[in-house]
This record gives sequence, C-alpha cells and structure tokens, in this order.
Amino acid sequence: MRERGNDGGQQAVVGKSAAVSSGHWRAVLEVRQSISGPQKALIVAVMLAVGLAISAIILILNGVQASSIFDELIVQTFFNRESLASVLVSTTPILLVGLAAAIGFRVRFWNIGIEGQIIFGGVGASLIAFYCPGSGALRLPLMGIAALIGGALWVLPTLFLKLRLRVNEIITTLLLNYVAYNFLMYLVYGPWQDPVDRFPHSAKFEAVARLPGIGFGRVDVGLLIGVAMVVVVWWLMQRSRLGFYMRFVEAKTRMAIVVGVPVISTQIAAVLLSGALSGLAGFAIAAGQEYRLTQSFALDFGFTGVVVAFLARNNPILVAVVSFLMGGLAVAGQAMKVFYQVPVAVVGLIQASIVLSIAASEFFIHHRVRFVRAC
Amino acid sequence: MQIAVVMESIHKSFDRFVALRGATFSAKWGEVHALLGENGAGKSTLMNVLAGLYLPDSGCIRINGEIVEISGPAHAKRLQIGMVHQNFKLVMPFSVLDNVLLANPGGSWRNRRSELAASIRERSEELDFNISPDAIVGSLSIAERQRIEILKGLIGGARILILDEPSAVLTDEETERMLQTLRQLAEAGACIILVTHKLNEVKQFADSVTVMRAGETVAEADPESQSVADLARLVVGEQVAEAPHRAPQLGGVQLAVRDLVAASDNGATTVRGASFEVRAGEIYGIAGVGGNGQAELAEVIMGLRAPAAGALAICGVDVTCAGPQRRRALGLAYIPADRYTFGLASSLPIAENFCVAQIRSGHYGGWTWVRGDRMRADAAEAVKAFNIAGTRNGAKAGMLSGGNAQKLVIAREFSGNPRAILAQTPTRGLDVRACAAVHENLLNARDRGAAVLLISEDLDEVTALSDRVGVMNRGRIVREFSSPVDRHQIGEAMFGHA
Repeated sequence: MRERGNDGGQQAVVGKSAAVSSGHWRAVLEVRQSISGPQKALIVAVMLAVGLAISAIILILNGVQASSIFDELIVQTFFNRESLASVLVSTTPILLVGLAAAIGFRVRFWNIGIEGQIIFGGVGASLIAFYCPGSGALRLPLMGIAALIGGALWVLPTLFLKLRLRVNEIITTLLLNYVAYNFLMYLVYGPWQDPVDRFPHSAKFEAVARLPGIGFGRVDVGLLIGVAMVVVVWWLMQRSRLGFYMRFVEAKTRMAIVVGVPVISTQIAAVLLSGALSGLAGFAIAAGQEYRLTQSFALDFGFTGVVVAFLARNNPILVAVVSFLMGGLAVAGQAMKVFYQVPVAVVGLIQASIVLSIAASEFFIHHRVRFVRAC
Repeated sequence: MQIAVVMESIHKSFDRFVALRGATFSAKWGEVHALLGENGAGKSTLMNVLAGLYLPDSGCIRINGEIVEISGPAHAKRLQIGMVHQNFKLVMPFSVLDNVLLANPGGSWRNRRSELAASIRERSEELDFNISPDAIVGSLSIAERQRIEILKGLIGGARILILDEPSAVLTDEETERMLQTLRQLAEAGACIILVTHKLNEVKQFADSVTVMRAGETVAEADPESQSVADLARLVVGEQVAEAPHRAPQLGGVQLAVRDLVAASDNGATTVRGASFEVRAGEIYGIAGVGGNGQAELAEVIMGLRAPAAGALAICGVDVTCAGPQRRRALGLAYIPADRYTFGLASSLPIAENFCVAQIRSGHYGGWTWVRGDRMRADAAEAVKAFNIAGTRNGAKAGMLSGGNAQKLVIAREFSGNPRAILAQTPTRGLDVRACAAVHENLLNARDRGAAVLLISEDLDEVTALSDRVGVMNRGRIVREFSSPVDRHQIGEAMFGHA
C-alpha cells in the first residue's frame, strides 16, 4: 500500500510529474493530494466501461455480432432465471476465496496458497463424510468445521515460518499449493479412489453429506454460507476490535507496534481466518457442487481469490459484488464458448482486460491529468 | 548583481485546497536567498513550481529576465534549476556514481561513467565533500547523502539550486558545514535558494530573505537589518511567547536506566553502558551530537529494540524484557522523532489515530464492537483542546501538516495521563508556533507530575526545557548538569573524547 500525504501534504508530491506535448494542448500529470469518494467511484466506473469496451472489441474481432453482445452477454447471463442460478453457483466459491484473500491482505499477509487451503478444507470435509457416520443432522456442520480447521492447519506452517524465521509467505504459500495438490493426487489415485468406477476421484458423498439446494436452480446452501461469511467478515473488519487492530497493522505495522497494538496476535488471527475461509470454500465445492473430491476441484480458485480481493480493495461488501460479476463472467464465458465457438483463451483475455482496466484506475486515483494550453 | 529568478503572482490550488495565492519571489545570482515560513505557508509548493514539479494555475516565471513556462523537471534542469528535496531521491543499493548517472543520462554508457566519476571526484574535492563515486549510497550517513544530492544537481548543470529544509535532518555541526558549502557556491556565482524555518541560519548565512505566510509573500528583507525576534514576528505574524519556567516539584524515580548496552541495525554497539534516572515532575534532557546512540536508546526504552545488557525500569517495575504494550500499560508514552513512521498511520482517520493507544482499556468498546461514535467525540475534544488545525470530519491523519500531526501525536500520548514520557526530537521540522505549543505541552506534563525524558539534537531546546541535562557521547551519559546550565560546558562534554 502506498503512503500518501506524508508531510502535511507538501512533500507528498515530489517526483512524479511529466508533460507530453501534443499540439497546442498539453497533458500534465500531477500527484493528487486528496480525492473524494464519489470521484473515486466515477474513476472506477469509467475504467470498468473502458474494460467492457475493450472486451466488446475483442468479441467483435472474434466474429461475435456487435448487436448481440449486450443481449447475449449481459441480459441473458444475469436476467435469465436458469442462467442467473448458474451465475450464483459459480459465485459461491469465488466469494469465499475472495474473502479469504482480503482478510489476509488486510494484515499484509500475501496468501497465495488459497488453492492448497481449499484442498485441505475439502480433505477435512471428506474425512468426516467418509469416516464419521452416525447422526445425519450433525454430519454437514461437522464437515464444515473440519473444512475450516483443515484450511487453517494448511496455512499454519507458513505463518510459523513468516513470524519466527521471516520467510516470505508468498514463496511458502505458493509452494505448499504443489504439496497439497500432490497429496490430493495421492488420495484420489490411492486410498480414496472411487471404488465404484475406479476413476481418480473420491467416492460420492452420501446424501446426508451433501449441501441441500435452496430451490433456485442448482443453487445450494453454500451460497447462503458465503453471504453469511460476508456479513461476518464485514463485522470483523469494520466493527470488531480485531478489525481495528488489523487496520493499523495494514496501514503501518511499525507504528502499530509502538502504540501497543498486539501485531503478532492480530496477524495470527487474521491469517488463520484466511486459511479457514479458504477451507470453507473447499467444503462448499466438495459438498455443494461436486459431491466428491475431484482432481481439479480447487484449480485456479486461489488466484481468482487474489484478483477478487484486489479488485474489491479488500472490502468484504465489494468482494460480494466482484464475485458475482466474476461468476457472471464465467457463465458468459461458457456461453461464448458453446454458442459462438469463441476460444477459451479469448474468454481469458476478456477477463484480463476487465481486471486490468479496473487495476489501472488506481493510477488515476493517485494522479490527475490536466490539459493545459501551451504558450 | 543580476536577477536570476522572478516569480510573479503564482497561484496554485489542489482540488479545493489553495496552497499559493499570488506568491511572488525573486532571487539574484551569487546570493544565498532564504525562503522562510511556517509549516504549510506554501514554501515547498512554490519551490516545486520552480522546479517544474507543479504547473501553476496562473502566474509568471522569469529566468534571467525571460518568461518561461516550466513544463517538468527535465525542462527545469535545462534551465539550470536543481532541487534537493527534503526526502532524498536516491537509490540506496546503488553507488554514488550510478545515482548521479541516473539523474544525468546521455552519451555512450562507458564514456559517460568515467566522465561522471571524474567530475564527482573533482567537485567533491572542490567542495571538500569527501565522497567517492564508488561508495554505496545506503552505507553513507544522511549528511553524505545530502551532499550527493547537491553533487547530482551541480553535475547536472544546476546554477539555481533549491534546498528544501536541508538542515532538518542534520546536526548543528553538519548544518554549519553544509551552509558553508552553500555560501561557497553562491560566491562562485550560483543562486542558492534555502527553504527553512530556522531563523538563526537565515541570520547567519543568507544574503536576503523572503517570508511567506498562508500562501502569500509577506515580506522581503535583508537579514542583516533584522533581529531574530523581528524575523520570527514576520513568520508568525505575532509575538510568540515561550512558556516561563516553573520550579520542578520532584517525585520518585519513574524511569531508571542502568548500564544499558545496545547495538544498531548494522551491528555496531552504539549504546555502551548508559545510566540515568528521571524523576516524576522533571524534564531530563539528553543532549549530544546525532549518532551517539540516542536513536537506539529511545528504541530500547520503548521496547522496539532488545538491549544486549543492562536494565530498565518504569515506575519501579523492571521492563528490560517487556514489549511495548506492557510498558505502555505501566504508563510510558512516546513522542517519536519520525512521526510518520512511528507516530501516525497517514491513511487512517484522525479519530482512529487518536484512540488507538487507549483501545485496550475497553473505553471504546469490547472485542465485539468498537465504539466509533465515542472515538470521534473524544478525538474532536482533543482536536479542540490541543488546537489542531486542518481537520475535517473523518479526515485522515496524512492530511495534517507537520505541526498539527505532531500535536495529534502528543494529544494521543497525553490522553492516558502517562507517568513517564519519552520525547525524541519532538519539534523536528516544526515552525516557531508549533514548537512553542509542543514545549508548553511538555512543561504542562511535567507540572502534572510526569517524568519527561527529552532526547534532542537541538541544544537550544534541551537547555530551554530541561531541569537536568545529561550529555550523551559515544553511547554513554558522560556528564550531567542541573538547570541553569552552562552551554559551553555542555558543548565541551558533547565534543569531548573523554
């Protein structure tokens, strides 16, 4: 995060200024001293529009008719009951990993290991599903708790290495993803291989170990858990004392130490929560969508979580909004693939253009471009 | 002498904040021209306009009589304008040569390097800088880094050299030397613009002075004909009265330091057996040339640095191994030297910055719910009580000017009625009025019965406030003096090699 306004506003400014000649008018770049909320929102909205425009151009170049883009991709995705249900289904895990990433970033912990934590969340849930028969009503809550614990446990070594030995968590979380993935491979090719079809995935969960639907397409209770987590994380960040401490750890760790904020405990709590939420995402996928552990049930969700948290500026409410849009993008991407034969790479390109456009808005939030007449 | 720079009716505003309202300025070749003003008077903004970092909203700049519109720092450089900023623009892991090269690229890479290395050596010798082009910037002292900035400008061909508060980071000795260098450059024909708020520097070294207040130029004067008091009046617009000294009401020992040994980040032992005691109701000042272990001593007392040996007690409780939280709970407060690193979180609201130290008391709610309304109310009260200007509802701490930021730190640190206060160069970079306010606050705390430890490199400050003065030299308290102190004896102890 960038520190701004460091010296009563005067010195914040040095360094960045450039001029580009263009005829009689000249664009001059200045560092902003402050910016209001509405201005910020406007900048982000404009950049989002730019991203959508670039996406439209990419689609037209790939043979999609200009007239059908809006109707197909926005109206059909979000305003068709069936399609909206699909959007909500793909939103669920994105929401949880987005929250997981956001809460880690809030204490300056770059959790790149969400994927590994999802896997261990899924493994924890499956452990209960397979080996803990008994009361049906308790099965799902126990699976959820096991998933939370599994995710938190998988982030623990990283946390220890960072706090004790100052090992960079970006490296360790990233590398532990491969360990987790290979462990999953071992399970699905080994002890947990499906005895029915001998395919490399686990046996199907029994009915009592599956999250029930809520009567709207394939949408299941996982979405409600996700929404509840948004509220919980919002409360934690904005209203609880832990959140208050987290703000200081994020804003200026050294200052937080000086004023007596328990920095280490705050970091431990937030990072364990980040791992636990990732584990919960594993539970939501395994128990709500796949009904088993598959080889790829966690694939790519880790990085999606990072992107969502970044776009949402680590704000839990915005995480919900961004996850919903990302879910929409995923469903629209499917439609593009199926109905327009748009290659998968192009779908990725569109997602990237939108993400980059919003990321670029950061620049215009910090800088002002002025046009002045040259003499 | 010929006029080098003229700036006429410069206006500059940032969104809604007006920084300059028709400021004027002119400086001649061959002079050291001081630009004086309080924090937030617009000095730095005006000079940033001259250096091409800001485009003014309106106004006119002439260099050598010709109207110019400075389009950016590169253009300013072509006009022979160079600026040494308060926060140096150096790449720490690079060598001096690389840094100079970065600022002055061009030509073939290999030739350019040897060419620049030669001119660094030559200039460095000429100005008695003693800087090798191969030295790594990160390993050099702050004073040396400043010299590199000056070299960078000069080698880039700057003949109008702006220095933004160059002495803020230097000790008295280093300042003296740097100002001598600037004089030397002016005598060789350059135009030196010195942005400062230290009046005696102006009096001693400047040929002429421009005074700014609230974005306007209020006076141009000859420092010869003005007394320091006159200059102070011009800067603040009214007489500033320093609080009169009251006799101390001594209590028990609140802060005891015994044979403390500590090392700095690079492993050198800088605190070597320091011992002293501070009693309730007194201000104990630690004087000394910067770099004699004061910074590490302060960090050890706050619990940010573990001592290698020795003991430390707050209110009779041994806290040698305790963390900052425990020390705070015992009644220790800290006014840090670097308020933007250790004092405030710029990106967070003023209210949160004010309340963070007290949140553990539960006054602002328990674990589940933090009482934002109570925080804002308390902060608003403190803002009023400590006369902190420039706050709006929900404003972030980073929006405060230096003096007001420091007042906010003090307001917070005093809010828990501390029993011991560690103040480390509490007035660095503050203007006359803010300085007086900080001093008065420290004296008030003393009169309330707090033990105040004042660590400062500003000898005037130490002697004016302290009831007792300890001189720190090479990591030890070498001598102690009681008020009224003899500055000459303190000076001897500071520079002595005993």
